[in-house]
Amino acid sequence: MSVQFTPVIWNRNKILYDAVLLIAVALYLYVFIRVAPAFEDVTKPVDGAILRTRAFGSCAFLMLTVILCIGPLARRDRRFLPLLYNRRHFGVMTAGIAAVHANYVLGWYFNFSPTDKYVALLSSNTSYTQLLGFPFEAFGIAALLILFVLAATSHDFWLSFLGAPLWKALHMLIYAAYVFIVLHVALGALQGPGDPIFTAVVAASVVLVCGLHFATGRMEVGRDRGEETAKASLQDAGWVVAGEVGDIDNNCARVVTLEGGERVAIFKYDGKLSAVTNVCAHQNGPLGEGKVLWGCITCPWHGYQYNLADGRAPAPFTEKIPTYRLKLIGTTVLLDPNALPPGTHVDPIVIGADA
Amino acid sequence: MSWRQTKAAPFFVGYLNAVPKPLVVFLSVFAVCFIGGLGLAALALSSTQNDPGNGGFQWGNRFEQAGLLELRPYPVFRVPADGDTPARTYMLAGQGKRGAFDAAEANREKTVSLRGVPVNRGDLTMIQVGKVTAADGEMTGFTPSGPVPLGRWKLTGEICDGKCYAGAMRPGRGLAHKACADLCLTGGIPPVFVSSGPVEGRNFFLMADSEGNLLGDEIDPLLALYIEVEGDIERLDDLMVFKADLTTARILK
Repeated sequence: MSVQFTPVIWNRNKILYDAVLLIAVALYLYVFIRVAPAFEDVTKPVDGAILRTRAFGSCAFLMLTVILCIGPLARRDRRFLPLLYNRRHFGVMTAGIAAVHANYVLGWYFNFSPTDKYVALLSSNTSYTQLLGFPFEAFGIAALLILFVLAATSHDFWLSFLGAPLWKALHMLIYAAYVFIVLHVALGALQGPGDPIFTAVVAASVVLVCGLHFATGRMEVGRDRGEETAKASLQDAGWVVAGEVGDIDNNCARVVTLEGGERVAIFKYDGKLSAVTNVCAHQNGPLGEGKVLWGCITCPWHGYQYNLADGRAPAPFTEKIPTYRLKLIGTTVLLDPNALPPGTHVDPIVIGADA
Repeated sequence: MSWRQTKAAPFFVGYLNAVPKPLVVFLSVFAVCFIGGLGLAALALSSTQNDPGNGGFQWGNRFEQAGLLELRPYPVFRVPADGDTPARTYMLAGQGKRGAFDAAEANREKTVSLRGVPVNRGDLTMIQVGKVTAADGEMTGFTPSGPVPLGRWKLTGEICDGKCYAGAMRPGRGLAHKACADLCLTGGIPPVFVSSGPVEGRNFFLMADSEGNLLGDEIDPLLALYIEVEGDIERLDDLMVFKADLTTARILK
C-alpha cells in the first residue's frame, strides 16, 4: 500500500522474488545457449542467432505458462498466494524476454535485405488465407503488443488512473496473448521436422493452463453452491441466513454468496462480527480469504487493509469498499443482502449481546 | 492446504519481511523446483533440436574461376572442363538476401573471372558473388553445352531459397523460415526445389516456370510447404533445372 506513486517500493520479499526469477531465467538461457549444444547430435551446429531466438522465445513461453498457473494454484492452495504478490514483475520480465526474441528474429530472418526489416516482417509472407504457411509472425506480433501494453500499465498508477474494473479487464488480455503465442508456435516452430520434446512441452503447457483453470472454475462453482445458506434461506423480512457464528474462526472470515453471485465476507474478531464485500478495491483480491491484522481486514494478495466497521482503508490511504448489515439470532448470523455505499459505517455485532 | 484462511494457517503479507516459517519452507522448495525445472527444460529443448544439415559458407575455400555468366533464367556461372574435372554450372547469389542479376546482366554471355564464397550443402553449391572482372584471353573458344532434357517428372518436396538452404542459414528450410525464404526470393536469390526422391542422383533443382522463365509471386503460397508438382527437368552440366508446372502443384502437408 502506498499513498504516492514510486516506480517500485522494494522490500525483502520483492528482492527475493526477483532474484529467484533472474536466476531461473539466466540459468535457462545459459543452459540453452551454452551448455546443451554440446549434447546435440548434429552435423553442424544451429546458427547462433537462431539458437538465441529459440532460447528467448521458448523461455518467454514457459514463463507465461507459469504466470498463468499462479492464479488458479493460489485459488486452490493458499501457500501459492505469495507468488501472486509480485507477479507483475514476472510479467514485465516475460515481456522483456519476448522482446529480445522478436529482436533476434528481426535481426536475422528479416535483415540483410534491400527491404526494410519492419516492412519485410509485415510483407514477406502474406498467405493469410491458408492454414499451413499462415504468417504465424502476425500472432507473435499481436502477443508482443499485448505484453507491452500490460507491462507498461502494470504499475499501480495505471490501476488508480483506469480504475480497478477497467484495469482488470485490460490485464485479462494476458489470456489472449497466451492464445496468440500458442498459435504462433503451433503454426510456426511446430510445423518443422518432428521434435517430440518441444511438441510435448507445448502440449503440456496448454493442458496445464487449461486444466488448472477448468478445475479451479469448477471448484469455485462448488464453493458457491456450498454457501447455499445465503441463497436458499430467505428469512426475517429480507435477511438471509449466513451460517453459525461458531463456524467462523477468530480473525478470519466466512464468505457467503448472495443470489446474484455477489460474495460477502463476514469477519469475526474481538468477540464481534462485521461484513464487507469480498472484493478488494485494489485488484479484486478475495478479502474473505484474508485475515484481521492490527484491527484491519488484510487482503491476501497485496496486503491492502480496511477498517472492519466502515470498510475504509486506514488513513492516509483512501480506498473504500461496500459494507453490509448483520444481525445475530442466537448463534445464527443473518445478513442484509443490500450492499451499503463504500465506506458506510455499520456498528459491529457483539457476539452474545442479544442473549 | 486448502484455499480457506483459518486461524492457524500462516498468512503472508508481502510488505512484511517476516514470512511465516511453513511458507518459507514451501516457497524455498518451489523456488528450487522452478529454477531446476527451467534448467532441465532448457537442456531437453536445446539438446534435441533437429539437425540443420551440413551446409555452410566455405570461408576457407574461396572461389575464383574463369567462366561464362548466363541467365537460365537465374544467374549461373558456367565453368569449362579442366583435365579430369568435368564442366560445372554454379548458381549465383549476391550479398545478403540479394540476387546476382546486376552482375549477370552486365556481363551476360561474357567470359569473366568470378570471385566469391561458396555456400555448400552436399551437391548443392551456390556462389555468393564478390567480384566479377573481365577474364584473360585463354577462355576464348569456350562454348558451354546446351541443356539436356530428362523428360517430365512429378516431384515431391519443398521450394526453398537456394542460398539459405545451401547453408547461409542453419536451418534454412521449413515453415519457420518461410518469410525469410520469401524475402530471399524477392531479392533475387534463385529458388531451389529440394526433392524427397533423386533424379539421376540429384535432389536439388534450380527452379524456373514451365516456359523456363523466372518464377514470380505464384510460388508464394507453395513456398516452404511439402508439395507435389510436375514439370520438365533439364541437366546443365552438373546442375539440374526443374521447369515446374505450378498448375499441377498440390500441397501434401
